[in-house]
Amino acid sequence: MKTDDPSISWVEEPKLSLGDRLYIPLIMQGLKITTRHMFSPKVTVSFPEERPTIGNPLIYRGVHRLNKDEQGRVKCVACFLCATACPAHCIDIIGTESPWEDREKYPQSFVIDELRCIFCGMCEEACPVDAIELTSMFDLTGRSREEMIFDKEKLLSVYDQTKDAEPMKSRQYATPTSPSGGGGSDSPSAHGKVESHAGHGKSGGH
Amino acid sequence: MIYLVIEALIKIGILIGGVMTGVAYLVLLERRIAAWVQDRRGPNRVGIPLTDFKMAGLGQPLADGLKFLFKEEYTPGHVDRVAYYLAPVLIMASALLAMAVVPFGAVSIPWGDKNYVIDMVVAPGLDVGLVFMFAMSGLAVYGVIVGGWASNSKYSFLGGLRASAQLISYEIPLGLGILGVVLVSGSLRLDEIILAQSHGLSWNAFIQPLGMIVFFVAALAEAARLPFDLPECEQELVGGYHTEYSGMKLACFLSAEFIHMITAAFLLAILFLGGWHFPGLTGPATETVGPVYAAIRIGVLLIKVLLVIVLIMLIRWSWPRFRFDQLMDRAWKVMLPLGLVNLIITAFLVEFAPGQTVIHAVVGWGAMIGSLVVTAMFSPTATGREKAAPATAPLEPEVALAKTR
Repeated sequence: MKTDDPSISWVEEPKLSLGDRLYIPLIMQGLKITTRHMFSPKVTVSFPEERPTIGNPLIYRGVHRLNKDEQGRVKCVACFLCATACPAHCIDIIGTESPWEDREKYPQSFVIDELRCIFCGMCEEACPVDAIELTSMFDLTGRSREEMIFDKEKLLSVYDQTKDAEPMKSRQYATPTSPSGGGGSDSPSAHGKVESHAGHGKSGGH
Repeated sequence: MIYLVIEALIKIGILIGGVMTGVAYLVLLERRIAAWVQDRRGPNRVGIPLTDFKMAGLGQPLADGLKFLFKEEYTPGHVDRVAYYLAPVLIMASALLAMAVVPFGAVSIPWGDKNYVIDMVVAPGLDVGLVFMFAMSGLAVYGVIVGGWASNSKYSFLGGLRASAQLISYEIPLGLGILGVVLVSGSLRLDEIILAQSHGLSWNAFIQPLGMIVFFVAALAEAARLPFDLPECEQELVGGYHTEYSGMKLACFLSAEFIHMITAAFLLAILFLGGWHFPGLTGPATETVGPVYAAIRIGVLLIKVLLVIVLIMLIRWSWPRFRFDQLMDRAWKVMLPLGLVNLIITAFLVEFAPGQTVIHAVVGWGAMIGSLVVTAMFSPTATGREKAAPATAPLEPEVALAKTR
């Protein structure tokens, strides 16, 4: 293609005024901008001393926790939906017969490999009983790979650490009529959970 | 005689120590200023080792220096060994030598019944001080060229080529900017140039603004600072002429660059901003003063230099880089004629109106404004794509696309 090809459309450069061609007003403009930014507030967060503000903890995807119900039992019913949904295959559950009346199974062991996890939050969305949730804890460190494999006790302790700052999401979005005296019936509460997830999704959109 | 040698050695020690410390902390200052301009905080963590005491990052230069010392000093197999080892030495030595003639004034210390006069300059009474400084900054080009050539790599070579073309071109406007000052003060000695400016506010910046602009632009280019940093622009050339260097050799190149910037700032302060002189603060307009005034003078000169350096660092983040042809046009088509205009006008004034500062200043400012306006009207580098677009009307994009199909 040559430069005089009719299919090339030419864009005229903007005409510079005399002031622009003098360079000095533009130079001063540049200096003014840099000087203003030198004294403007900084965006850097001095991390260990200063914690960043998490915009909305409800939609932040940090370390997992396993929620407990009112009697301090693990809410999980070992249905394997989270492990099935997990794209990184980082959840390993061993379910066994439940010692309690209100459910058939419970997790004997519930292990999440936090190093494999991609923090997509699909386990949280899959959970029918809102047992697994992602908190807004983000500074996850460990000295060995074994340390980063979180078992049930550790995940439950994450719940104990974060339950005051971040109450259970199902509790926040539960309908007023939801059962409060311990998990009695299964099907209505599951129905309530679906609605709560819809509310959750809406809040994520905001 | 032996005392002279000892005195000179002490001065050299103080100067080199001061300059190298200054370089280390200017690197920190540059990083902090860069961060501030970009709304960041910059390196503010390194303080006293093994404590939590941070001192706003003042320990950073020490850490940087240690890092340079302990880095592997790798010599690639494809380099020309002799030149490869010679280049950092050349560039560092020439950069440091230029500082030898920077005058801080002279101090007379009463001791017993005698007054000892100490010239606070490594090479006192050098009649060709300015030429010496010039020669040394010219030698720095060899360091760059030798380094770029010896590295035997295309990035280094391109950087070296660009650097040599740029430095040699800008040496001419640099000299022309200085010549006006030399004509007015009638001396090449830096201390006498300062003395000539130490009456009231007769700084050369107010008398020869055009000369100062030419000199400042050329000095930026000589120090390869940002509007003119083509020899080492990271986006195009990795690191320019020091791409293949590592460890302390790289540190030599980097600190030589900073020393060039310090030298340029010192020259600007001495030649155009009155050196150690500040009206009403620095005592009588004589070379030798008592210790108190001498200390004040050192402080004033260093503050001026620091302000110039901060300006240079701010400039780095304010303006984009020139293209190489624009850079050459700046040197040969703009700065060279402007320098000549300044030189001729100053020569006329010195011949026909000697010593009349007011007339000098009025004519100098008139010349600056006039020549800048003329430059702007006929500027050869104002973006111009001279070739006009073809006469055919531009097509709509869809039509154009259809035609190409």
